[in-house]
Order: sequence, then C-alpha cells, then structure tokens
Amino acid sequence: MNRPTLSRLWKFLRNTVAAVCGLAIVVALLPTKARSQLGLDPCCAIMSAGLNSISGLLRSVVAKPLGSIQQNEQESANFEQQVVFPVAAINQARNMAVQFEGQFVQIRQLFQLPISSATLRTPQLLEQSLLSGNPGALPQITSNYSALYGTVMPPANAPQPVRDMVDMTDAEAQAAMKKAVEIDALANLELQAAEQINQQLQSAAPGSSTILEAETAAWLVRANAYTQSAMAELVRVRSIELANSSGQLKFSASHAATLHTTGNQLLQRGVQ
Amino acid sequence: MKMKTLELLRNLPYRLNRSRRCLFVVVIAWCLIPLSARATGIGDILSLFQTITSTLQGSIGGALSEMRNLSAATNNFRQQIIWPLALINQTRAFVSATRARYTGLMSQIHSIKNNSATLAFPMQLESMFRGAQSGSIGQIPSIYTRVYQPVAQVGIAQPVQRNLMDIDDAMAMDSLKTAMVSDQTTQGMLSLADSLEQQAMTAAPGSASMVTAQARVADLETQAQLAKMLAAQLRQEATKLAHKNAVLKQSATATRNLQNQIQQVLAHP
Repeated sequence: MNRPTLSRLWKFLRNTVAAVCGLAIVVALLPTKARSQLGLDPCCAIMSAGLNSISGLLRSVVAKPLGSIQQNEQESANFEQQVVFPVAAINQARNMAVQFEGQFVQIRQLFQLPISSATLRTPQLLEQSLLSGNPGALPQITSNYSALYGTVMPPANAPQPVRDMVDMTDAEAQAAMKKAVEIDALANLELQAAEQINQQLQSAAPGSSTILEAETAAWLVRANAYTQSAMAELVRVRSIELANSSGQLKFSASHAATLHTTGNQLLQRGVQ
Repeated sequence: MKMKTLELLRNLPYRLNRSRRCLFVVVIAWCLIPLSARATGIGDILSLFQTITSTLQGSIGGALSEMRNLSAATNNFRQQIIWPLALINQTRAFVSATRARYTGLMSQIHSIKNNSATLAFPMQLESMFRGAQSGSIGQIPSIYTRVYQPVAQVGIAQPVQRNLMDIDDAMAMDSLKTAMVSDQTTQGMLSLADSLEQQAMTAAPGSASMVTAQARVADLETQAQLAKMLAAQLRQEATKLAHKNAVLKQSATATRNLQNQIQQVLAHP
C-alpha cells in the first residue's frame, strides 16, 4: 500500500469516526431516550408521585362510591326480585289465569244450553227469534210477533184512543224483545272478549298486565253502558204498562160518565 | 437555488477544516439538546397531574358521591315508603283475616234455602229451579206442566188463546231455566272470587296488578251474565205487556162481534 492511499484511508476513517461520535452525542442527548433508559431523571420521581396520588384518588374518590353504588343497586335488585316482583308469585298469577280459562269456557257453554220451551208452531217461531241472540233475526221478530199477538184492531172494532194505546204497547213490547236479543248478542261478545283477555293474561308480565287491566276496565265500562241501556228498556216497558193502566182507568171513567149521562137521559124521557 | 444548496453541501467537507468540522458538529448537537424543553415538560407534567387530581376530586368524585347518595336515597324510598315489607305483610294478613271473617258467613247466608212450597208438585218444581243444576233443565217442562197444566186442547180454547198460553208458558220456563244457569254460574263466580282472594293473600306488589287484571276479567264475565239475566227479564216483561195487549185486542174484537150480533138480533126480532 502506498502513502497516498493510506492517507485517504486515514481521512476517511477519521471523518467516519467524527460523524459517528457526533451522532452518538446527539442520540445520547435526546431527552426521551435518556429518561427511559436510565431512570435517574427527576421527572420519574415526579411522575411516580403523581401516579401514586392519582391511584390513591381513584381508590378513595372513585372506587369507594362506585362500590357503594353497586351495593345499593344490588340491594335494590334483590329487593325487587324477592319482595316486589318475585317470579313465583308472578307465575302463580299466570297459572290462575290458566285455571280461570276452563271455568270461563264452562260458563259460556252453560249459557248456550237450549232453553226453548214452546210447543205450538207460532209461539215456537217467536221464541226461536227471541232466544237466537242474533241481531240479524230482528226483522223476523216483528212478523212473528204479529202472527202470535195479532195486529192493531181495525178502526171499526175500537175507538182511536184505544187503537193508539194498543199500537204503542205493541211497539214497546217488540222493542223490548229486540233489545233482549241485542243484549244477548252483546253479552256473548263480552264473554268472548273476557276469554281472550284471560288468554293474554296467561303470558302477561306485571308491566303488561296493567295494560290488560285498562283494556278490561274499558270493556267493563262498555258492558255497564249496555246494561244501562237494557235497564232503560225495562223502565220503558213498565212505564207503558203503567200508562196502559192509567189509560184503561180513564176509558172506564169516560164510559161510566157516558153511561151515567145516557141513563139520565133515558130516565128523563121516562118521566116525561 | 436548490442546486446551489446541494452543491454547497457536497463541497462542505472540502471547504471546512478539521477544527471547523468539530465546531460544526458541536453546534448542531447543542441545538438538538432539548434542555429548555425538559424544563417545560416537568412543569406541564405537574400541571397535568394537578388537573387530573382536581378532576378526580371535583367533577368525578363529586358526581359519584351524588350518585351514591341518590342511589341510597332511592333504595330507602322504595323499601321504606313505596314497598315497606312490614306493610306488605300486614296487608296480606289483613286480606287473610278479612277472608276468614266474612267468607264463611257470606257463604252460610248464600246457602240458606228459600224453598216455601208445601204441596208435592210445587215442591218438586221449586226444588228443581232453585237447584242451580243446569243438568236438570230438561226436566223443567214436565214438572212445570204438572203444576201449571198443559196448553188447552184444540176445541177447548181458541187458537189465539192457545198461542198466548203457550208463549207465556214458554217465556216463564225459559226464564226459570236461565235463572238455573245463572245460579250455577254464580257458584262458579263465587269460587273465582275466592281464588282471587286467596291469590291476593300471597301476592306481591308486582304480581298484584296481574291478580287485579284477572279480577277485572271475572268482573266482565259477571257483567255479561248480568246482561243475559236482564235480557231474560226484558223478554218476560215484553211478553207480559204483549199478552195484556193481545187480550185487549181480543176484547175489542169480541165486543165488536157482540155488537154485531146484538144488532142482528134487534134487526130480526
């Protein structure tokens, strides 16, 4: 090897060493490397103290209340599960709905038993319409009623006030019979609804049963209203009956007065 | 410009001598040493710790403390005010005591027999229609006929009158049968009411609403049965009214016939 070559090699090595040293110094002086590697930095002590403080605070300020809240929630959940909403009591209530279903069906079937008793043809037709519970059969009641009880007498057979009274009475009697058919039909629907609500109750939860209760309450209001309308019809029937009694008394009084007058006239003629 | 800078950097080793190179390296290294940054970082860290601490103590700690108090208060409110266990048990005991006090007494009153007939056939009929046995419905017509007699034979009464007799009998028997069915269902409903009361004795506040809903359904059933009874009464009353009216019509016709006959007699002496 000649001298110039050695000299160039030396220069190259010297520059390389200088560059590496410079780089090493820079790298050594980088703050993150120095702190993480050596652990003797004062920042570490500060961070340790700070983290310890945070950890203590998390234990005392956060963990304790959270533990207390969790305990409260647990107590509350236990109370609700064991005292307020025990599953056994809920299932017992559902089972009762299952038991009731059989009795409801039995009741409905009892009211469907045939009770017709008429033996003659004309009364049988009217009775059949009356017990049908079918509002579609209402028009037949009028014809069957007329066939059995007759129509208003012709004008020649009775004075007009009597005919009016008879017509009014027929009208009310027919209306009451029709109302009875309607009430029967409505009662059948109420029984069906009761069975359906009861079926819902068999799988209801305490939260949903209140909705079913509200639904049933609405049906009850409706049922009461229908019962009230039937009561009104009953009151009308008895009112017409009372009015008829009064009317007959008036006719009797009128007839007695007429008879009295006629008697007087006859007696006066006899005297003359 | 870029080319010039690159040229300067390329020729830099040749332009600088050894001492200058060392000085250059030192200056670069000095610039890269973040002494001031380190001082600033410590302050920031301390500030950050203080912020975290104050947040933990203030916002988070305060809120959690409030939540704990609220949770405890809610729990106490539920257990002591809304659903106090002592009151729940007391109420169950009340239901039990009420049932024990009244149910037997009411049952005794309800089971009192009101039969009053003294003769054989009326006794049979009365016993039948007060028996609350729907299975006996079929026997009603025969026993009824024994007491009230069958419809008059053809020739004994006019067809109109026979029809009236038949429909009156029919409505009377229908109502008696309906009453028998009603009595039987009344027994069923009383049994349901007893079941409901028993259920109430062991119900929890959460299941009570289900029992109440069940009672409402039973109430609806009762209301429907009541409506059916009312319908039967309406039929009865309407038949009674129609009967009286029919008799009036017949009277009018009879009077008219009598009048005609008298006129005929007077016209042909």
